Amino acid sequence: MNAAAVATARPHAAAPAHACWHCGERLDPAATRYADIAGVRRPFCCPGCSAAAEWIDRLGLGAYYRLRDQPAARAAEPSAAPSPWARPELARHVVRTREDGRSEVCVLVDGMRCSACVWLIERAVGALPGVAAVQVNAAARRARIEWDATRTPLPALLDTLTRAGYGARPLDAQALDDARRDESHAAQKRLLVAGLGAMQAMMYAVALYIGAFDGMDAVTRDFFRWLGFLVATPVVLYAAQPFFAGAWRTLRARRLGMDVPVALAIALIYAASLVEALRGGAEVYFDSVSMFVFFLLAGRYLEMRARHRAGDVTDALARLAPACADRVRTDGALERVGAIELVPGDRVHVAEGAAVPADGVLESDACRVDEALLTGESEPVAKRRGDALVAGSVVVEGPARVAVERVGADTVLAGIVALTARAQAARPRLAAAGERAAARFVARVLALTALTALLWSLVDPARAFTASLAVLVVSCPCAFALAVPAAITRALAVLAGRGVLVVRPDAVEALAAATHVVFDKTGTLTDPALALDRIDARAGLAPDAALALAAALARGSRHPVAQAIAAAAATLPLRQAEDAVARAGLGLEGVVDGRRLRLGRPDFALAGAAEAALDARADAVVLADASGALATLHFAERPRADAGAAVAALRAQGLTVEILSGDAPAKVEALAATLGITRWHARQRPQDKLARLEALRRGGARVVMVGDGVNDAPVLAGADVAVSLGHGAELAQATSAIVLSGEHLDALPAARRLAQQTLRVLRQNQRWATAYNFAVVPVAALGFVPPWLAAIGMSASSLLVILNALRIGRRRDAHAREAIA
Amino acid sequence: MNVLVVLIPLSIILMVGAGAAFFWAVNHRQFDDMDTPRLLPLTEDPPPEAATSRDDAAPQDDAP
Repeated sequence: MNAAAVATARPHAAAPAHACWHCGERLDPAATRYADIAGVRRPFCCPGCSAAAEWIDRLGLGAYYRLRDQPAARAAEPSAAPSPWARPELARHVVRTREDGRSEVCVLVDGMRCSACVWLIERAVGALPGVAAVQVNAAARRARIEWDATRTPLPALLDTLTRAGYGARPLDAQALDDARRDESHAAQKRLLVAGLGAMQAMMYAVALYIGAFDGMDAVTRDFFRWLGFLVATPVVLYAAQPFFAGAWRTLRARRLGMDVPVALAIALIYAASLVEALRGGAEVYFDSVSMFVFFLLAGRYLEMRARHRAGDVTDALARLAPACADRVRTDGALERVGAIELVPGDRVHVAEGAAVPADGVLESDACRVDEALLTGESEPVAKRRGDALVAGSVVVEGPARVAVERVGADTVLAGIVALTARAQAARPRLAAAGERAAARFVARVLALTALTALLWSLVDPARAFTASLAVLVVSCPCAFALAVPAAITRALAVLAGRGVLVVRPDAVEALAAATHVVFDKTGTLTDPALALDRIDARAGLAPDAALALAAALARGSRHPVAQAIAAAAATLPLRQAEDAVARAGLGLEGVVDGRRLRLGRPDFALAGAAEAALDARADAVVLADASGALATLHFAERPRADAGAAVAALRAQGLTVEILSGDAPAKVEALAATLGITRWHARQRPQDKLARLEALRRGGARVVMVGDGVNDAPVLAGADVAVSLGHGAELAQATSAIVLSGEHLDALPAARRLAQQTLRVLRQNQRWATAYNFAVVPVAALGFVPPWLAAIGMSASSLLVILNALRIGRRRDAHAREAIA
Repeated sequence: MNVLVVLIPLSIILMVGAGAAFFWAVNHRQFDDMDTPRLLPLTEDPPPEAATSRDDAAPQDDAP
């Protein structure tokens, strides 16, 4: 995502000493690794990050660490498995061969955060032999690479990206026909033609105005008029095409769209000026019509940029569905193929921890899958032979053998993505409303023009034409059309610079009007990493010994509790567990030193024992053997460093802050007390949270929901403004309108202040445009406005709107300091 | 006023030239990336061996 379209003021370009040099995560002293980067010893949080930094340094691109203004994403550990993209059958789907013999591929690059990433990717890939061009679109997180496939194979290209710490995924070859790029190119050209034309037409018009005062002979006057016609013609016939095309489309559909009055006004002014020039009449308005087109196009262009910035949901499909599948051949052997190659009727093998590549039916006896993607329920679901599995769900207990039924665009997942894409393609509501206002206004002006013409033809037919033309010109719908896009574009750019990515521009309006902020607790208000607090070991067993036993079981699991145990035991001697198995939702079981141990929820761990005193241990993890509990491990959650300040700032803005958590009441209460939050609800399931949000909204509240987990996704979708944290689950981000990329909660109060400022400026702009027109149009209708004054009034009014929009976020440094303090 | 007869056509020719140059630049994707060029002056000179290997690659230039 375009994490920093604008230079950011945040001072974390270089990671502080206690944080990972690559990803900026806080270091766990026990697990810190060191590596020499450019001759200086740097700390790293994990092997992935240190490998990425060494690789970047080896490529000679160490300047990246100086250029960036956001820390990198945590790098995955490089895998040794052979890349499936080496197979020509699979590569064929993603690589296009160009006419000049080069190959071309479009890669979705995950982990791209700021423009320094773009710099790094362009150079790292560009330095490979045979690479002819690399273009990175930071907003869409796509890189398009043209290269000579005989000199560098596709896997080597992807490998360079993964080794530098990015996720690289080739997209379907269709993605290469980038409609957005064509749209943006066309808009840039039109804008330039209109701009150049307007400037030139204005210049000739000034000569005409001066000539009108000083006395200019008719030949020179006509010469300048025809020059104006010359430069205005490409503006009207080429640059203004979108308005004519839009008007024609809506008229053919028998509707009166927004383009109709605009196109009519452009055509009328142009044609009338041409008539005047031909018959040597009083005034021509070629300058006004050019400027009119230019300002309208500028508004459209800004709005298009805002639209293109928003993430492309079709990419979400590429992220959620796996690229490869293990197909079961008729002889029973497995072959690795691309998910796109699957056809209904194929059998695939899905390993534990892998995602199901296509919709199908379970053929093996049983498995458990995580369907959080669809249901939002993070608890895995048990499936039996014959049950349906959907693409994108993750097999947590398996393996599973699946008979494929639907693939590609027919899957449930693709359907969800298509729905979301349709919702996102809608134009921002504010912009649509702004344009409707402009269209209504133009329609009224056209009516007024007709009225003026009618009245003057009764009073003084000779002046009817010039007076009605003056009305048409002096009224300025441009200020209306520009008011919204200018303010919103400016606000989005400023917010992006502060680590707040606004995915849906509508969120700015909703954020400004918010009355309640609801936080999820775990991972949002608290640090996502748990920490082991204390160990109550059975008499005769040293806490460290108990920890070592627990860690032996926990080491293989990716559950956050297990990872906290493994991290706490990092300095203890390593012990091996045999037959370790994970029981989803319950705990781990295995044999250590010949003893069968269980680690997990008390009811699970103590199932085999007679002991039943469980109440006090409700949220602790118990390590037990056949004879009973060996130790109880307690965990603590730390609130995020900036959570207190963020909550206080939001409350100071008059917002009601509330916690909705799935956790136990005691823990939620403790955290709420620490942060000074009085309203909290514990033990909330996603549907409870959703019900609570709906109750709040029924009561008239506008709710901002901040969450991060996959299970928060449906809750986020039910809020007025959904905010997710940058490290959160992919789906949570896909359903949210705002992503806090810097993981700074205190960016939220600052963002709300900015949103309010934006709306204030926007209203000022609209009020100004209304006031201007009310003052000027009647005067023009009476025939008192000379054409030069009409032209100046129109452009000054548009300029004022833009300058006013630029005020948004001007006091940003003051705000940022205040928010951090 | 005769000087206008020379200067105005000249200005129009210049304008057409500027427009053509801009169209060329847009078609060659010079305006696609508005984010990274601002970083270029801040980078160090590339190490010599990387510079030579990059010459034939020339990531910015893709005249077809």
